Amino acid sequence: MVDMSAKLFLITPEILLLIGAVVVAVLGLSSNRRVRNAVPWTTVGFLVAAIIATDVVYDGSEAVTGADLLLPNLGLYLKVMVGVIAIGLVLVGIGMVDRRYEEAIRNGRAGFDPLRVVRGEYHAFLMLSIAGTMLIANANDLIWLFLAIELSSLPTYVMVALGRGTRRNMEAAIKYFFLGAMSSATFLYGFALMYGATGTLSLTGMQEVFATQAAAGGIPFFGLLGMVLAFVGLSFKITAVPMHFYAPDVYQGAPTPVTAFISFMPKVAGFGAIIMLCMAVGWSGHHLIDDAGIKVPTEGLPRPVHATLWVIAVLTMILGNIGALLQTSIKRLLAYSSISHSGYMLVGVIAGTAEGIDAVLFYLVTYGVANVAMFGALCGLQRHDREVETLDDLSGLWKRHPGMAFVLALSSFSMLGLPPLLGFWGKLDLVVAGITAGETPLVVIMMATSAVSSYYYLHLAGLPVIRKPDARTEGVDAGPTPWPRIAGVVFGVGILALPFAAKSLMTQAEHSTDASRLASPEAAADSTNPDSGMSIEAKGSSGRA
Amino acid sequence: MNETVITLTQSDATTTMLPVATGTIQIVLLTSAVMFAIGMVGFLTRRNMILMFLCTELMFQASAIAMIAFGRMHLNPEGQVFVIFILTVAAAEAALALGLVVLLYRRKPTLDAEAWSELKEC
Repeated sequence: MVDMSAKLFLITPEILLLIGAVVVAVLGLSSNRRVRNAVPWTTVGFLVAAIIATDVVYDGSEAVTGADLLLPNLGLYLKVMVGVIAIGLVLVGIGMVDRRYEEAIRNGRAGFDPLRVVRGEYHAFLMLSIAGTMLIANANDLIWLFLAIELSSLPTYVMVALGRGTRRNMEAAIKYFFLGAMSSATFLYGFALMYGATGTLSLTGMQEVFATQAAAGGIPFFGLLGMVLAFVGLSFKITAVPMHFYAPDVYQGAPTPVTAFISFMPKVAGFGAIIMLCMAVGWSGHHLIDDAGIKVPTEGLPRPVHATLWVIAVLTMILGNIGALLQTSIKRLLAYSSISHSGYMLVGVIAGTAEGIDAVLFYLVTYGVANVAMFGALCGLQRHDREVETLDDLSGLWKRHPGMAFVLALSSFSMLGLPPLLGFWGKLDLVVAGITAGETPLVVIMMATSAVSSYYYLHLAGLPVIRKPDARTEGVDAGPTPWPRIAGVVFGVGILALPFAAKSLMTQAEHSTDASRLASPEAAADSTNPDSGMSIEAKGSSGRA
Repeated sequence: MNETVITLTQSDATTTMLPVATGTIQIVLLTSAVMFAIGMVGFLTRRNMILMFLCTELMFQASAIAMIAFGRMHLNPEGQVFVIFILTVAAAEAALALGLVVLLYRRKPTLDAEAWSELKEC
């Protein structure tokens, strides 16, 4: 049992972000333009502070090893990843929030009205959502997990509504919010059933109870139904199949920087939560009871959970990639592409054990980096003072803005998984994990759908080069501030350069499953006393060397 | 029924909770399942935004009832603690929902969700 101060020490990065949220919310109301312009940079400052704090907290401290977590070291990787990519997402949004109103104030056409500026709120909600996502890494019971997921998703509903100028915006916000509330209720009911099956809310306690139950007669029906409901509910956060249909509408209707944010941050939160729940139930030691009443050991997650995730993954990959083929709007296309990426990552979750989790965590980085680069390029461009919308707007971009066309091509190639780029290594890692776990059919479907995706990614990358500029694209030019483009270029360089650091990134991802309470096959084999070996092992090993 | 008073002490929280008949628990669980199903069906069929929101609230409260029932079944207070948090989050979501609905109502004076269907597959 850790005391309160140790627990608070563990969440220092999140506390910093919460302070930051209050600070920028106040700064955003200042009547001084310089102060308002400093808001994004204050946000970046607090994010950097949070990253540094994460490094300090996880530097072999007692708070981490004693915190009774399923994955004690997950936080180091996840929080740093979320922090770094969030800096990119803030840069992508600079100059986009409140743009018209700020211009009007500068030209003297409008006076300053604190009720009309949203810059402070936007960045405050952004930081709150990031704090929620980071908190998931420290979840040690279902209450914490639930609150962290809600903290990461409630601010995003407001962020979608913040560009309150257009009707599309409002529609996107209301769709996002209602489905979000419904999905929260669904996984909450799943949590209730899991609590009913185990009698504890603590994730480590739940893991021990599940292991005992699996060794005895199998996990009770309530527990399995709870897991299934929880996954169906969480599929909203990761835009996976039963709750994916909102994604194209919301991504299209939201302001582009917000689209960039909601295509990455809730996904991290969702996968964090899914990994936690899968850890609790374990990838080994389960069995089926056949007609003759004999126990048949099975690989991986318990069969019903495995089947649910399998169907979700396959449908997500297929529907995501097929849907993207027909799109003319860039943001709708990216929505479907983001759906299909969730499908790929679910392969890693199903494969499970340390390799699968590492692959998912690594893939999140590759996806996040490509995502920032892509949206950096999109936010850096404008057409007649509005967002770039259709694929046609991009034709001939190569002639006018070669840099942005290059970043766009680079990020789509990375998302497609072309060999030297970052995305390839992420996909390779997932494939290896899938095959190692014996999920060959799933991997085959992943490769096939990934091949289908080459059509639209090549389209996105090729249009700027191949098609001639026409009257419509005459209006496309660079946006008012260079920062989104700078973010695009920096993360584009990341796509090229990070493969050289892929080894150390993967080592970091692997480090996050070190010292975890991952039930090894041996531990499950002699599961007559399931809680003895595992907990000693987890307590004994130190944090970061 | 002063025996059923729950005292939350660090050492042993369960001693003062008396077990109840499993039949009672089952009835409560059934109620929560029915509430959840009504909420889900209502959410999918209703098109009034306020009613849709109330349906999600119904689903939240169904989970809360299930939590309480399970907490009673296992004779530990964790489920009831969770309910406090569920209520808090549900209140936050209610504030957000009403704010959004007011924002939408100012643009189009209707509560019909169908009126907002500009974004769709082309």
